[in-house]
Amino acid sequence: MRTVVGAAGLALMAFGALMVWDQSTHWDVLIWLAGAVVLHDGVIAPLVVGVGFLVGGLKYRGLVRGALLAAGCLTLVALPVLLRPLPTANSSVLPLDYVRGLLISLAAVAVLAVLLGAGRWAWGRVGRADDPESR
Amino acid sequence: MKPRLPAVRPPVFKGRLHDARTATSIGRLLGVAIAICFGTGLISHYLQHPPGWLADYLPSRPSWGYRLTQGLHVASGIAAIPLLLAKLWTVYPRLFAWPPVRSVRHALERLSVAVLVAGAVFELLTGLLNTVQWYPWPFSFVPVHFAVAWLLAGALTLHVAVKYPDIKEHWSRKSPGTPALPAADGPDRRSFLTGVTAAVGAVTLTTVGQSFTPLKTFDVLAPRHPDHGPQSLPVNKTAAAAGVGQVDPAAYLLTVDGPRPYTLTLAELSAITQHASVLPIACVEGWSKSARWTGVRMTDLLRRAGAPPDARVRVTSLEKYGSYRVMEMGREYAHDPLTLLALTLNGQPLTPDHGYPARIIAPNRPGVLQTKWVTRLEVL
Repeated sequence: MRTVVGAAGLALMAFGALMVWDQSTHWDVLIWLAGAVVLHDGVIAPLVVGVGFLVGGLKYRGLVRGALLAAGCLTLVALPVLLRPLPTANSSVLPLDYVRGLLISLAAVAVLAVLLGAGRWAWGRVGRADDPESR
Repeated sequence: MKPRLPAVRPPVFKGRLHDARTATSIGRLLGVAIAICFGTGLISHYLQHPPGWLADYLPSRPSWGYRLTQGLHVASGIAAIPLLLAKLWTVYPRLFAWPPVRSVRHALERLSVAVLVAGAVFELLTGLLNTVQWYPWPFSFVPVHFAVAWLLAGALTLHVAVKYPDIKEHWSRKSPGTPALPAADGPDRRSFLTGVTAAVGAVTLTTVGQSFTPLKTFDVLAPRHPDHGPQSLPVNKTAAAAGVGQVDPAAYLLTVDGPRPYTLTLAELSAITQHASVLPIACVEGWSKSARWTGVRMTDLLRRAGAPPDARVRVTSLEKYGSYRVMEMGREYAHDPLTLLALTLNGQPLTPDHGYPARIIAPNRPGVLQTKWVTRLEVL
């Protein structure tokens, strides 16, 4: 069964590769495919490792990690609408103020994270006060 | 761009959660997202470019079908961004493995994973840029996005087959492999999964309102907003971009070719029995919005031309440029009573950008096939 699934995967890959090869621009496609790996392995991954190195030891590590993950992904998704060059001649494409939209989203993430952190800190104090062992 | 655990000095990873249980937990979510994205992408592709034998069998119902599938296509692609980054993070130690290649087998394994990563990042990147109509690459988007989708689907299938023993060992908390991992990682892993879920929620909430209109208040990062556009409906191609401009109503003539050909002026077209349809415009770029249209039923126009009940129709637009100037409609669409040659949108005459004086609106079809500025119908 596993072999059949694996072979099916190889067949689909071959089908896709043939369709890529059918394009007159197949070398450009290959360059962009390789570029996608370079973008992840060469830019995103080292950045993430660096950030992880900086915040990994913090007390509310899980919370900080979740907030940074959400904020980072929001920024990634916003990059195309923020960076697209040339205004479009169509008023219904990119109609919003995306700098404002991103700032509001990031602020919402930050506020939620701080509230959650404060809630946990308060809960921890109450928990210790109620627990005779910790006195 | 992403937060991370203490990943101390590659290639030695002391950081935790780079294990098979975490990879399985994230991987199956990513697998579901990619499967939805691939399936809905195929639906979209074959609705837009049907092979000849299929064109007459494409269903015109449910009328909201394409709105749902294409909304899901873009939403699942966006949701896959945090999932893909998280999944790749769990295997960072392999990414920074040293020496990079240990054997022929290891090289082949890395190559297959490289195809998987390249395909996934490529599809998400090109898809996301397409939603803002930004094409910085030297190839044509549709055939390449389609071809690489198959490459990615194949690489993912192969990956699941190769990793099947690991996946099975770590599928649930009780699977044999999971308890073998450090118990202290359990809460940390759940916290990581919660963080990934929060990121998926954040990117979805801020973009999905472009098609799921009840959430439009939260649409602050999508390239479209349901309330922005002429007559409160977004437009994909403007009259100026199509080289049409303002059509002179006195000069307008609709030609209908068939066994009994005829022509109609705009006044004559408006005098035929008008019908109303509530149908969405659903664009391949993922936005959609429903509207109320009135106009003449396609079936009425075809019957008047003496068309047989299984006839297809070819529709020609006044637009000067663009690959969708001529559109063909299979028989299910052509004979659906909801399909109109519409003259009004939400009670007002169409504006030039919405196809004045007459446009096609049909159920369950991609927006690019809702031909605007219609000047000619041919019974096939």
